[in-house]
Amino acid sequence: MSLELLLAAAFGGSLLTYLLGKISSGLRDGFAVFVSVILVAMIAGLYGKIGAVTSYYHFMGLELTLRISPLSWFFAMAVSTLGALSVIFSLSYMRDRERTDFYYLMMLLINASMLGIVFSGDLVSFFIFWEMMSWSTFLLISYNRGSALAAGMKYIVFSIIGSMAMLIGMLSLYAVYQTVNIYMLSNLVSSASPGYLLFLLIVFGTAFAIKNAIMPLHTWLPDAYAEAPSPFTAVLSGMLTRMGVYGFLMIMYVIIGSVQTLNMGYGLLKFNYILAWLGAVTIVIPTFIAMLQNDAKKLLAWHGIGQGGYMVLGIAYGTNLGLAGGIFHTLNHAIYIVLLFMSVAAVQYRTGGERDLNSMGGLIKKMPIAFIGALFGISGLIGLPLTNGFVSKWLIYKTLILNGSPFLAFTALIGTWGTILSVYKFLHNLFLGQLPEKYKDIKKSPVNMQIPIVILSLTILLFGILPGLPLKVINSIIASFGFKSLNVTLWGIVSETGSLNTINLFAAILTGCVIIWLILKTGPKSVSASQENTYAAGASIPEGKYHYTVDFYNPFYRMIKPYLKDFMDIFYFKLAGWTQTLCNIVRKTYTGYVGHYVTYIVLFLAVLIFMQLKWSLW
Amino acid sequence: MQIIAMILSPILALIIGIFFLGLSRKMMARIHWRYGPPWTQPIIDIIRLFSQKSVTHGHLFNLGLILSLAGSIVVILFIPVGRIHPLSDSGGMLVILYMLLLAPLGLALSGGEAANPNTSIGISRQLILALGYEVPLLLILLALMTHYETISIVEIVFRQQYAGWALLSSPLVLSGIGYISIMPAILGIRPFEVVQAPQEISSGPMVEYGGPYLALATIQHALNLFIGIALFVNLFLGGAGNPLFFFIKMLVVFVLGIFINAALPRLRIEQAVQYLWRWPTLLALVGLIVVIVMKSVSAG
Amino acid sequence: MDRNQLNKWLKTPAKMGHKYSLHAVYFCTGCGIIEVPPSITARWDAERFGVLPVATPRQANLFLITGYVSVKTLRAIIRTYEQMPEPKFTVGFGSCPINGGMYWDSYNTIKHLDKYIPVDGWIAGCMPRPEAIFVAVTHLWTLIDKDMADGYKRYRKNYQAYRENQERALGKLEWPPLFSIGGKG
Repeated sequence: MSLELLLAAAFGGSLLTYLLGKISSGLRDGFAVFVSVILVAMIAGLYGKIGAVTSYYHFMGLELTLRISPLSWFFAMAVSTLGALSVIFSLSYMRDRERTDFYYLMMLLINASMLGIVFSGDLVSFFIFWEMMSWSTFLLISYNRGSALAAGMKYIVFSIIGSMAMLIGMLSLYAVYQTVNIYMLSNLVSSASPGYLLFLLIVFGTAFAIKNAIMPLHTWLPDAYAEAPSPFTAVLSGMLTRMGVYGFLMIMYVIIGSVQTLNMGYGLLKFNYILAWLGAVTIVIPTFIAMLQNDAKKLLAWHGIGQGGYMVLGIAYGTNLGLAGGIFHTLNHAIYIVLLFMSVAAVQYRTGGERDLNSMGGLIKKMPIAFIGALFGISGLIGLPLTNGFVSKWLIYKTLILNGSPFLAFTALIGTWGTILSVYKFLHNLFLGQLPEKYKDIKKSPVNMQIPIVILSLTILLFGILPGLPLKVINSIIASFGFKSLNVTLWGIVSETGSLNTINLFAAILTGCVIIWLILKTGPKSVSASQENTYAAGASIPEGKYHYTVDFYNPFYRMIKPYLKDFMDIFYFKLAGWTQTLCNIVRKTYTGYVGHYVTYIVLFLAVLIFMQLKWSLW
Repeated sequence: MQIIAMILSPILALIIGIFFLGLSRKMMARIHWRYGPPWTQPIIDIIRLFSQKSVTHGHLFNLGLILSLAGSIVVILFIPVGRIHPLSDSGGMLVILYMLLLAPLGLALSGGEAANPNTSIGISRQLILALGYEVPLLLILLALMTHYETISIVEIVFRQQYAGWALLSSPLVLSGIGYISIMPAILGIRPFEVVQAPQEISSGPMVEYGGPYLALATIQHALNLFIGIALFVNLFLGGAGNPLFFFIKMLVVFVLGIFINAALPRLRIEQAVQYLWRWPTLLALVGLIVVIVMKSVSAG
Repeated sequence: MDRNQLNKWLKTPAKMGHKYSLHAVYFCTGCGIIEVPPSITARWDAERFGVLPVATPRQANLFLITGYVSVKTLRAIIRTYEQMPEPKFTVGFGSCPINGGMYWDSYNTIKHLDKYIPVDGWIAGCMPRPEAIFVAVTHLWTLIDKDMADGYKRYRKNYQAYRENQERALGKLEWPPLFSIGGKG
């Protein structure tokens, strides 16, 4: 089975889904699930073929190729699995909505183009797939119309700026080396001058930083995540945004190579060091901004930015531990953020699109599966031990501490504590506390929503207890970048400077829980009490809202609120305003009178003549 | 051997923690010029609570409390008590830092299900306070880990046993003072008793606990006392060669804590965070910079 | 005081626990609460008897009805009493809960508290001194020892009658019955 076949199946499947939707919606749903699941199986089958290269098209003398590296297999596997789960999840979420055929077309097209990105062996195919992904994302972000149109516009403007930067880099590479093949480039570029390499890193880095929403370039993300349809937000946050991480890995460690990348610059002003600090800033500020959000999806969106900071910090730090941590965190983040968005979507589906955290509560009794998804999701997001997020963060912290960057480690660690505050608020305001009257008769989430939530919850636990499974693949990735591979066992990392053993932890916590549970069981049996039967200073519970949600961290808000505006967003809006004013002034010169235009021409010639006489330039 | 240590160390911690609870009640009474309860009073309370019939608000109400207590027990397995440290080689300080999260988070989940606003206010205060003291605490721990170039707590204790206490060594003295100044917040005693605050929010996260639940919560509180002090003894007072000396060192630290608890009133939560983010953070920051500078001086 | 006798502890740990760890609800039901602060602070120090005020009824097992009971307070008293975990003990403090005291002809106070919730013991007087609380506590110990402090059992047994009395005084109650009121009361 070759790569062309895979991509043909992916793209053809998406178009065929659209056409089938014209015939019957049931057929379309079934086929969409079939295509996305078959892609997972096909990619899993490609594991043995790592290293294969196929050339599929000749275009104006350029050979366009596809190839499988460990890195691309890893990303493709994550993309296809999460894509399939999101499609399964969409089945009932998108039922009874308009333009469903279009939704599935775009969903599968995005999936296919992401596969194209990770499998492309040359920069031209990379760029083409990248643009396909960006544009179909734009269409899906604005799917809901209304305020979603503005969010989509913001996204596409940023995306175009990034693409143009990338295009400049590609053209210059082609002009210098006459090739666009990534592997040929990686051999040729290593002998280039540091200045040229820095130029390449900056132009490509801008594109990928925009996609990965690194701090000064992040402002498109919160609106886009909040406004997109929820199952698509899962894909958008889980893998699509993380194509930026893939891009960083490609430009830093595949094309330019680790030796050049890590020695770029002098002293503290090294490229990778600055990028790591950008990552650190991206961890701290969005995490604290997330605390102020009252919109469930926006809260998660800000965490999406913050967690992206960990990945960039890990891969930019450039040690084998950091790199492994960064790549592993990409996968982990994808798993738990998809899970969290799915839980929110399940709640939205049953409550009629409600996202306001202040108006809900107590849904644990009504939607237990969605709650379990959210609980595992936030545990992973915090990085509690026994969840996957812990292992990747542990790797990053360890390298930061032992390689002498305590301040970077501090920013990364404090990000975690900020995370707890906001995600607990998220969980508490949605699922815990008092159930409002209007949600008394709410039903459980449908089965096809429960299946992906359960699968992802179990995956979080599995990768947290047996991190060796994914770390084995990651080991081969960092070995292909020329780093020393880690000493990984199935349940942890062995090292002289402190090892990790998750199975011990798991056994200890499990034993502790069981013993305490038995002790609790030997006591007198407790009576179950309803939510009305709580202590209220002797009063009976008042009608209406008796649930502390609004301004959950009020004393703290008052302290930090003035410092946590999204200053970059305000700045970009001002910039857009200034540009508009400038253009208005320019527009006013077009008066429509021939006499004025003649005056301009004469003035222009006069200036030219003056310059020639004064400085004799020509 | 390891199995025995695994059973022994939580039991030791439980005994010491409950003894500390009783001792604190007796000593507080003497400071107030009262006769006070016998020092066994917490044990009597726990026996009484275990024989009472309580209410539960759902599965998470039970599970959160269990998780919180289990988290505390596992942290104890990571902390060297004398030479007993059954699990400390499977993750080091970073795991301790993260396992410390499990206790407040478990209580928060359990309390959240109780649907009582007092609980929610208590939890929100608890998480804010934790963020408040984590900022200086992380800087202090990073100074230690950078100075000793390890993430293993056993290694830190071992290095102190032949190079002298970290509290008295010149690079780490500022960090040590910083830790002392945030210790009441870590232990949750006055002036940082904002979480429980019985007079304001009816003992916060514990509002709905009664009977066996309250007993487990009391045990959890005792273990937390043990963890907070044991960490300080290990990190700055050089640990100890055997559990007896370890206990004596802990006792000295704890008695100092009781005096602070008895003498000071309660701060409001924002005052607490303002204090924690001002002086202790400044001390910890300067301490970390001192460590880095002295390291680079001695290296080059 | 047999608090230190180990053999008694081993024989009946639960009973001993209830005796020496009486946690009282910190609930100002009437004017008698003014006697509670001196009795728990340095002057009389109730903590040496194991008596400690706690913040919520969930954590308590002793309920002191301190002073007169107005109709409005009765609602809160019943609610609080029902939220306390069993076994629980109630002590009426002062004359007013016993028979109305100086409010014997008031339209707005409850004259006989034990019609509405079971009471295990009374402290007569207007006001009783703080020492009287300790006399009551030691007397409660003997009652617990002899299984005579069984108010919570009586409440369970005669719940229907109590609930009827409560509804007669307060009208319809907002909360559902604590125990099922069925064929047998």
